[in-house]
Amino acid sequence: MSDTNPSELLLEIKDLAAEVQGRKVLDGLNLEVRAGEVHAIMGPNGAGKSTLAQLLAGRSTYQVTRGEVRYRGADLLALAPEERARRGLFLGFQYPVEIPGVNNVYLLKAALNARRRQQGLPEVDAFEFLGLVRDKMRLMQMDDSFLSRGVNEGFSGGEKKRNEILQMTVLEPTLAILDETDSGLDIDALKVVANGVNGLKRADRAIVLVTHYQRLLEHIIPDRVHVLAAGRILKSGDRSLALELERRGYDWVRHEASAA
Amino acid sequence: MSAVAEATSPLDRLAAVEATLPGGAAAHARRRAALERLLALGLPGPRDDAWKYSNLRLLGRRDFAPAAPRPVPADALATLPPRQGPTVVFVDGRFQANLSTADLPPGLSVTPLAAVLATALPPALEARLGATDAIDERIRLLNAALLVDGAHLSVAAGGAADQDVHVVHLATGGGSYPRLAVTLAPGASVRLIEYHLTPGDAESLAAPVADIELGRGARLEHYAITLAGAHAIELQDVSVRVAADATYRHRHLGLGGQLARLDLRVRLEGAGATTQLSGLLLAEQNRQIDVRTLVEHVAPHTTSDQVYRGVGKDRGRGSYDGKVVVHKGAMKSDSRQSSRNLILSPGASLDSRPQLEINADDVKCSHAATTGALDEQMLFYLLARGLDRETARALLTFAFAEDVIAKIALPALRRFTEQRVLGSLPAAPLIREFIA
Repeated sequence: MSDTNPSELLLEIKDLAAEVQGRKVLDGLNLEVRAGEVHAIMGPNGAGKSTLAQLLAGRSTYQVTRGEVRYRGADLLALAPEERARRGLFLGFQYPVEIPGVNNVYLLKAALNARRRQQGLPEVDAFEFLGLVRDKMRLMQMDDSFLSRGVNEGFSGGEKKRNEILQMTVLEPTLAILDETDSGLDIDALKVVANGVNGLKRADRAIVLVTHYQRLLEHIIPDRVHVLAAGRILKSGDRSLALELERRGYDWVRHEASAA
Repeated sequence: MSAVAEATSPLDRLAAVEATLPGGAAAHARRRAALERLLALGLPGPRDDAWKYSNLRLLGRRDFAPAAPRPVPADALATLPPRQGPTVVFVDGRFQANLSTADLPPGLSVTPLAAVLATALPPALEARLGATDAIDERIRLLNAALLVDGAHLSVAAGGAADQDVHVVHLATGGGSYPRLAVTLAPGASVRLIEYHLTPGDAESLAAPVADIELGRGARLEHYAITLAGAHAIELQDVSVRVAADATYRHRHLGLGGQLARLDLRVRLEGAGATTQLSGLLLAEQNRQIDVRTLVEHVAPHTTSDQVYRGVGKDRGRGSYDGKVVVHKGAMKSDSRQSSRNLILSPGASLDSRPQLEINADDVKCSHAATTGALDEQMLFYLLARGLDRETARALLTFAFAEDVIAKIALPALRRFTEQRVLGSLPAAPLIREFIA
């Protein structure tokens, strides 16, 4: 699938600062993500987690005021959002939008073929695609009605999140950023989603989980855990940091950071 | 209207035109009466509230005289979507027996009106075909002033008539003033599909008027498809009375014309009467397309639902001006209005004015109107999945129109409309495969 080297530096964020409508949301953020790794970015509400996810995918609402982001060596911020997607960057949305009238499966096929064209691969035809997507749908425990519906149209919160992961499993991204994919899921749906994500773990791919709770991390084991607060990464650690955050909350990290 | 404007008004020439029209003394007297009222009112102008959105300056340069009969191109109907069921054809407002279906199914009758109109009207038609005094019904007066032909379409109850009837209005240039009277007997059900077209780019002025009556429990699904060319003015006026438990649906597809306006009035006169109105206004190039609806809830337990979608492109203009009136005593009425406009080019403009007048207690009325560009969140979602901007925009535009297109019950007409809408989108080839 990929031409990525093991432990290649996929994402490199240096001193990133950004604002939205004049309000500072990111302020000196540094992060490195290598192929084969699973990262979790945790933090209190309003810390800038979703901003970071959306900004990386190319949402134009945010103005970068400082710093740089390199994706596989390229200047990510100079790329249009569709170009980022074709190069293997995937954003799983926190609030996937409903688009009535645009068929769910046709969108997915167009998305896959856009990615394949970029990779120099032949496009998949409708028949081939349907076989592929049905396999993945079984994995995500989605029924056939998803094939004929509009994008996220009338989906429940859980169905929308499942659909995001379905898209991810079909598109096989190089770098997946999953924004609060666990929010609004009951425990059964959470397991399905986690299985989908775990099935994608590979040496040539990285996954970044943006989450508020450590609950998801019981099902998807991260290699690195970061605390994002006040617009930057205040602390990084291994999986045990997530458990500590669950126990102690976020305030101690902030105090520690301001003391240092 | 100023004296100067009046002196140059094309209406002044109409008396001479009227004198040349066929018919006996009664017919002339009837047309003259309408013409005099129209002259007294003058042509509508921008200061008339009912015509506030319609730019009628074009009218001043147009020939109002009915076109002389001329041969119709053999392929004149070739551009229409495939049809099932009988077709009734009018050319420049006159019924064309040779182009129309002769053998009608049982339960359905079509009576040309030329012979009737030339003499004294039977009382039953007098009231329907007579003129009006209403200032916002001047199209009706214009039609009455130059009326020579039309058809009375009558549908009896029973399965045999439960089918599609197509009415084609062809305007070859000059004026055309067809009149349609439609009567559905209690329990009758039919689909009426009206097409308005011009062969090529004829400079024409059409003022088709329809009067429709639904008996108790009757069902009419009425399509009005405007496919006229870039130099056609079309001013439609449709007036509908709906009896108890009857359902009237109107599906307006504004896909052509230079200036196309629809005035649609629906009176819900019996308890349980229902109306559903929808429209797609594709205002592109230099097209202006206006819809004005008036829905009156006269009886209790009546329901109305309006869904209009406008797409503004190039220098296209358009409006939805919809009023719902709930009369005294029409309690438990339920009314919804939804008007959304999508602006794709800076030179396009679309207006929306939903209005409510409620004179009864215990009613449920809602309206919503929006005008704007494509939804940024939707656009970003598609881009984030790797679609290029052009495809994403075309796809969202199509999806916007699909709100209304999906309501078209005839598969052939739905596909036809989809292709028409696609044809006006810049990235059509890119999204064709999305439309299965």
